[in-house]
Amino acid sequence: MSGYVVRRLLTGILILVLLSMFVFLLFSWLPADPAALTCGKACTPQIIEANRVRLGLDLPLWQQYFEFVKGIFFGRTYGSGTATFECHAPCLGYSFRRGEEVTPLILKALPVTIYLAVGAFIIWICAGVLLGIYAALRRGQWQDRVTLGAALVGYSFPSFFIGLLLLFFVVIKWQLLPYPDYVPPTEDPVQFLQTMILPWITLALLFAAFYIRLTRNQMLDTLGEDYIRTARSKGMTESQVIRKHALRAGLTPIVTAAGLDLAGLLGGAIVTETIFTLPGLGRLALQSVLDSDLPVITACVLVAGFFIVIANLIVDLLYAVIDPRVRLS
Amino acid sequence: MGKAINNGLRLAALATTGALVLAACGGGGSSSSSASGSGSAAAGGSGTGTAGGTINVLTLDEQISHLDPQRVYTGVEIAFLTGYLTRTLVQYKFAPGAAGLELQPDMATDLGTSSNGAKTWAFTLKDGVTFQDGTPVTCADVKYGVSRTFATDVITDGPTYAISLLDIPKAADGTSTYKGPFSTDPANDTASFDKAVTCSADGKTITFNLVRAAGDFPYTMTLPAFSPVPKAKDTGEKYDDGFVATGPYKIQEYTKGQKMVLVRNENWKKDSDSYHPAYPDKVVLSFAIDAAAIDQRLIADAGDDQTAAQMRGLQPENLATVFSGGDPRFKDRSVDALDPYARYMVINTKLVPNLKQREAIAVAVNRAEILAARGGDFAGILADGVVKPNLALDYAPSGMWETMFGQKVPDTGDPELAKKLIAESGEPMKELTYQYMNTPVDEKMAVSYQSALAKAGITVKLEPIEAGQYYAIVQDPKKAKELIRSGWAPDWPNASSVLPELFSTKGGFNMGLVNDPTFEKKTAEALGMTDRTAQGKVWQELNKYAMSQAWVVPTVFGKTQYLWGSKVGNGYMWDPYGSMAFGDLYVKS
Repeated sequence: MSGYVVRRLLTGILILVLLSMFVFLLFSWLPADPAALTCGKACTPQIIEANRVRLGLDLPLWQQYFEFVKGIFFGRTYGSGTATFECHAPCLGYSFRRGEEVTPLILKALPVTIYLAVGAFIIWICAGVLLGIYAALRRGQWQDRVTLGAALVGYSFPSFFIGLLLLFFVVIKWQLLPYPDYVPPTEDPVQFLQTMILPWITLALLFAAFYIRLTRNQMLDTLGEDYIRTARSKGMTESQVIRKHALRAGLTPIVTAAGLDLAGLLGGAIVTETIFTLPGLGRLALQSVLDSDLPVITACVLVAGFFIVIANLIVDLLYAVIDPRVRLS
Repeated sequence: MGKAINNGLRLAALATTGALVLAACGGGGSSSSSASGSGSAAAGGSGTGTAGGTINVLTLDEQISHLDPQRVYTGVEIAFLTGYLTRTLVQYKFAPGAAGLELQPDMATDLGTSSNGAKTWAFTLKDGVTFQDGTPVTCADVKYGVSRTFATDVITDGPTYAISLLDIPKAADGTSTYKGPFSTDPANDTASFDKAVTCSADGKTITFNLVRAAGDFPYTMTLPAFSPVPKAKDTGEKYDDGFVATGPYKIQEYTKGQKMVLVRNENWKKDSDSYHPAYPDKVVLSFAIDAAAIDQRLIADAGDDQTAAQMRGLQPENLATVFSGGDPRFKDRSVDALDPYARYMVINTKLVPNLKQREAIAVAVNRAEILAARGGDFAGILADGVVKPNLALDYAPSGMWETMFGQKVPDTGDPELAKKLIAESGEPMKELTYQYMNTPVDEKMAVSYQSALAKAGITVKLEPIEAGQYYAIVQDPKKAKELIRSGWAPDWPNASSVLPELFSTKGGFNMGLVNDPTFEKKTAEALGMTDRTAQGKVWQELNKYAMSQAWVVPTVFGKTQYLWGSKVGNGYMWDPYGSMAFGDLYVKS
């Protein structure tokens, strides 16, 4: 088991290294010249060249990548003449567009995204799984049809539509909540909840719809299995049959999907964060892409990749716990 | 003046009422704006505010691009910073309309004293001007601030007037021999900078020695690029984060992407500052708000939004709601007026040297369609030059579309006249390439240019360029093509920051690569003139001359619209920066 985990972690690190290399290569292939992008309106060829040196873009690509990796472990020095400054390890780079070091930028944005993703996850997984079970147990009845219909509607609306709808009606028109203004929960829990509740609902509505259908289908599949009939014939109550056999066996694909969905969200919920003015990783990534801000983009990709790698590992480990038939080796 | 006033009347009215404009430009053609107009006067004025309360400012921007005074160059941001945080030697009066274009001393005791034929300018600092930590501001601090502009490898994005105006030698590649205060190069020409900018023995008077006569130099002093920076606290590239205020407010909290909170600067002395009214106790600037949400909040006008103003203009989809229905809810809290931008298409004179062919291109353009592509009547009015009517002293109708080509040219263009001019040119018109920014609006305009010129038998190939590197490409003579989309706003209310910039060999935005000895000579004369009225007449002539040479095809004089909360006082379009006068806003009791 421990050997398996170590192997998977090493593979994960390799994936992250390859990811960062790929991002570097991708940006070197783009037609946009980052030195020109930071030039402003009073632009001259001399200023562009000075920018190129300032950004370290005059170096060969391999050297730029080497400097980036070196910065993560040993820090880097930026600037010229007497205007140099240190970016201490772990230095993920310096954003000349924003005038900030990337590591603190990521560390500021990450908690916001974690709160958003985890809060929404709890709502959607509870609502999705419970309603999915409920619909499966009422198969063909009106409750099943209503639940599935609602799920279809929820699934059909994109998050930007749900988000804007909630924002315009709940906040602007009815003024039931103040305009979103993010503060950490430790600073003002009430304002935190007032800010996060609509983003949570926006994301949860979208994901819960999918989980309702997934859970219902899994439950229906397993409820038709022979071992369920056997369990019933042995005299187990319906509740025991569902909890111990049907749900447990049906959970595996749900856990897989949930793990990857949560990991994907931890990389940033771009639309939701943008609509509700949440300073999370998604909005940071979006803005960086629009600005061609390579250091920030690279860091965002690495963080998103990290969560996917870790989530995959956790999901694989959970398989063994949920389903005794699975053995890790 | 009602909103339904037609364009011609508006233009005439603006010219006759003497509405001036100026606007700080920069930032790659962002939609910051300026103007004077009917809304300004209707919305109230300055000097009537009451102290206290919180002013909320809403913006879709992620952050203030630069707090560093030598790096900020967007009109709306300069208006915000100079209104609250950064003091300049001279600044514009807080007032709507033409009155807002008058200069007032801020840190300086007066508007400056010139000598040596306007090649030397001296400004004396008032007593009691301090940084936010209480340290007195001296001439050395202002001089140090100015020196930072020369460090072009560290202090980026800002205006470079210090480099072009101060009497410091140029190297062979055209750059200054002085490389700024961060350079460790022994050859750094600090001695020349020390000669160009001197301080009096008492540290109160700063003197600038210029390379040429500059009658309008006090206007240049309104730019924060000529503001003080304490050398001991300068962190170069990172000074945006370590910024030290000199104005009536200081930063209490600044989280990029979220908000900036300004509170009163306890070391600011009212006695030393007759310029800033400093009404509110607190100013909260909220970032990264969806543009549509900002408009909806201001339209709803509820809660804290009643004391809110917007940093950027209203979105096109909400303009009819606010302006077209005569809705009384918006009457006293909105403005619709000309902004500082003149939009035009550059014709590269090196690639299209034949005047008749340039004229043919100009008359073939369907200007009405270009205005429609930009958004119609709310987007602006049809242009007849690069100097706008709100630069009143410098503006006179150029007659470009009425008489200049021997007959009136309709707004929709005249392909037959264009064909005639091509025939008169004595050579066939070659295929042209039009370079434009890759945005939806520019794409529409490009298609219009292409189809209008095709009707005159001119083939145009389209070359879209990504926004971020647009100016780097079109300003490179090796990469610039025949036709280029462009626009310009003056850095101060004098055509000295328009015509020489666009058409002189020394101009920073001469994308048409114009090199005309007649224009150069008259421009040099005008730049040295201190008689503003006489100077204005020369600019009027030069604007007309530039149009007669068809160096550009003027298309649209832009407009911008703002809305603010019902409890915001002194809401008006501040012409110098084409923004709201943030420093003059107050909370109505």
